Amino acid sequence: MPRLEQLAELTGHEDRVWCAQWHPTKPILATCSGDKTVRIWQSTNPQDPTKWQCTNVLEGGHKRTIRSVAWSPDGRQLATGSFDATTGIWERDEDENGDFECVATLEGHENETKSIAWSKSGALLATCSRDKSVWIWEVEEDNDFECLSVLQEHTQDVKMVAWHPNEELLASASYDDTIKIWRDDDDDWYCADTLHGHDSTVWAIDFDPSGERLVSASADQTLKIWRRYHPGNPEGIITPRRGEPVWKCVATVAGQHDRCIYSVSWSKVHGVVASAGADNTIRLFEATPSTAGAASSDVIASTNEPGTLFDVHLLISVQSAHGTNDINSVAWYPNEEHGDWLASGGDDGSVRIWRFLKD
Amino acid sequence: MAFSGALTLSDLNDFISPSQACIKPVEVAKTSETQGSIKVDTSGSYYEVSQDGLETKLETATISLNDCLACSGCITSAESVLVTLQSQEEMYNILKQNKIAIETNDPSTHRTVVVSISPQTRASFAAKYNQTPIQVARKLTWFFKNLGVHSIFDTSFSRDLALLETGREFVDRYKKAIVKGVIKPPNMSADASATADSGDMDVDSAAKAPRKRIIRRGAANDEPAVAVETESAMPMLASACPGWICYAEKTHGYMLPYISETKSPQQIMGSMVKNHYGSQLGLKPDQIYHVCVMPCYDKKLEASRSDFYSDLYQTRDVDCVITSTEVEKMFGEQGMTDMAVFGEMDLDLGYNSVVKDATGHDQVLVGAAGNASGGFLEYVMQYAAKELFGVHGVDVDQGHGVQVKTVRNSDFREVTLELPTGEVLLKFAAAYGFRNIQNLVRKVKTGKSPYHFVEVMACPSGCINGGGQLKQDSSIPLKDWIVQVDHQYRNGVVARKPEENPVLAQLYQEWLGGVDTPKARQQLRTCYHAVEQNLVNPLAVKW
Repeated sequence: MPRLEQLAELTGHEDRVWCAQWHPTKPILATCSGDKTVRIWQSTNPQDPTKWQCTNVLEGGHKRTIRSVAWSPDGRQLATGSFDATTGIWERDEDENGDFECVATLEGHENETKSIAWSKSGALLATCSRDKSVWIWEVEEDNDFECLSVLQEHTQDVKMVAWHPNEELLASASYDDTIKIWRDDDDDWYCADTLHGHDSTVWAIDFDPSGERLVSASADQTLKIWRRYHPGNPEGIITPRRGEPVWKCVATVAGQHDRCIYSVSWSKVHGVVASAGADNTIRLFEATPSTAGAASSDVIASTNEPGTLFDVHLLISVQSAHGTNDINSVAWYPNEEHGDWLASGGDDGSVRIWRFLKD
Repeated sequence: MAFSGALTLSDLNDFISPSQACIKPVEVAKTSETQGSIKVDTSGSYYEVSQDGLETKLETATISLNDCLACSGCITSAESVLVTLQSQEEMYNILKQNKIAIETNDPSTHRTVVVSISPQTRASFAAKYNQTPIQVARKLTWFFKNLGVHSIFDTSFSRDLALLETGREFVDRYKKAIVKGVIKPPNMSADASATADSGDMDVDSAAKAPRKRIIRRGAANDEPAVAVETESAMPMLASACPGWICYAEKTHGYMLPYISETKSPQQIMGSMVKNHYGSQLGLKPDQIYHVCVMPCYDKKLEASRSDFYSDLYQTRDVDCVITSTEVEKMFGEQGMTDMAVFGEMDLDLGYNSVVKDATGHDQVLVGAAGNASGGFLEYVMQYAAKELFGVHGVDVDQGHGVQVKTVRNSDFREVTLELPTGEVLLKFAAAYGFRNIQNLVRKVKTGKSPYHFVEVMACPSGCINGGGQLKQDSSIPLKDWIVQVDHQYRNGVVARKPEENPVLAQLYQEWLGGVDTPKARQQLRTCYHAVEQNLVNPLAVKW
């Protein structure tokens, strides 16, 4: 039987934990909280994954809750998005005591910044806010940032932004119940697709390793899996905008989570989807293109459009993963080294590290 | 913070939409201290019922345009107020009042009505109705005169004054900025690169400072350490765009000293019409009703600023701003939808930019060169090159004498005046649209702006694409449409330098008592006011 065992419980935050993000290459975790700080946690003994230490507390950079953190792809910088409407860029002084220093502050959002994300190359940074806008910044030399675009098409609070794993393509999720896909056309960014389907706020999104699929988590208590169809696709899915792919929902996972789902993470290592939310439960799913007609009995979701079948199996469900508290964030370790590690953060102020055992 | 909601442009994404809820706490005069109840009758009126049963009708709480301007929250509420305060309806009312005044032979209620039309409006109509700008000008003159308007003017005329003043202000600032050490003078010698100018930097102590302690500006919401003085602040930022001014006042107070104090062409026209024109006709400012036709809704906000209000006469320099779109609506309301069949009428002499052609019969439009947002960058560059460095013949439009470069996107241009050695004498930029304004603000705040002058416009593509311009046929892509309107802006309009406007010298002499006199400052310059961030009413915050 697959299992999810808790390796460590990390305490120190004095308010709810909003977001946990793994360093891209090292066993280092950044978490942020309503206590206006970021904590950096490091594994102290590579042989014993239950031993962790808080090495840094990033304080004083923000006046309100820090809602999200994101490591730059090279791991040199950490971006923080706060309810004080700003985005902080932090850098570690590797030469001296390893302290983090706030080297830039990005202003512009009218109010709470909800999420931030670096593009794969590290050349672009996206931010989104309750002001309904998505901003795209270009990273320049000397910790300077240039605003490339201010995207205004969401009609409500934008909850999350996520970059495609390989391309310069951005997805955003909103309180307007939609997901939007954004692309660049030389002079400005534009909305290339709007994904309708959820009946309530879309809280979180994540791409699969190939970037051809996207999972979304919603307050409507479902997860949806979307697939990208390119023009001229063999399945015959119509792509109405010239040269532009379309995203179609290929699976809806309903009847699993029985409260809002706040976070979802699609492992870039083994493809297992982790989700968690207000029902205090972490669930792991396996999503695979279904073999036509051979759907097994434990398939819990599929859609019946010909040629677009997609099966989702529930692997594990861990109830009360943060006691009776909401879980705000789940994140798979990003590479092979510890691909079975999952981090979670919740309203109890704790951060937990879990290990996924396949059998 | 947002630009006015009225600035909405269809098919554009470079626009910050307004907050949904007004956060301005409404103050209501309470009638009694004791507790009572509120009753609503069948007509929807509210009554306060005190404990002894006495009923008092309650006043409706209102939020006026001034409340909105003074508030750092949204300005969407302003829209409804604007519609009633400054609209074609209001203009109709004044014209109707005039008719009644004539019928009842009561000159005391009669007001002379003046309409000033922007060149961007002309271009918009020319493109949509397939006319030339001079035809549009003549037809609008015909249209408004038929409605009972007395004089029709052209804001390219007042823009000549705005350009002259902006150029002069820039040169003054540049010189003061050099004297005060805000900027360094360029190295005019031939071997520019050979001279190391250490300036006031203490090289030793800078080198010894521990690396880690170098605090990068912009890292922690820092305001400039030294107070920036308007008279020497660099870069100087153009002031003609009210959307930008409004945004700066509400969210970037520290940017205000950088903004040019020269009034916009609309407001200079306001001063001219109410003061100079009025005095010529023997009219007091409140006996004139001045309407401006603009490409932009935020011009309404500009007209209603207290800086442009006369307490003595209880009147504004510009009483009413209507947009190109609203003029088009007036056509429909008058039952005249096809501009092709409008009559034509010669343009009024006075504040018009028009000359006779070679035959001496037909009128030809003239106007300052430069882009369709008013040509501020072009004029100031040309003027400053001449005044500061003796470089003549600079022409930004033609690329003569300067480097013109599009940076990053089509709404950000850099124009540089260089010596043959490569030494930069003047570096100007045009930054249009919200994203580019963000970058400019950021550069100025962190001390990384390399510019001496920036023409700032809130709308992508500038005023030609203003929120109040006519909408194109839906089959035409917006980008193509902007090109068409931009073409019409220049079509048949002969370039004339502001200095060559023959009336201006006379105006300075007769009206203002010369250049840079107290009266000239009062009539041609203005100032800006940072809006304090109000404590947000927590109940109004939407989550």
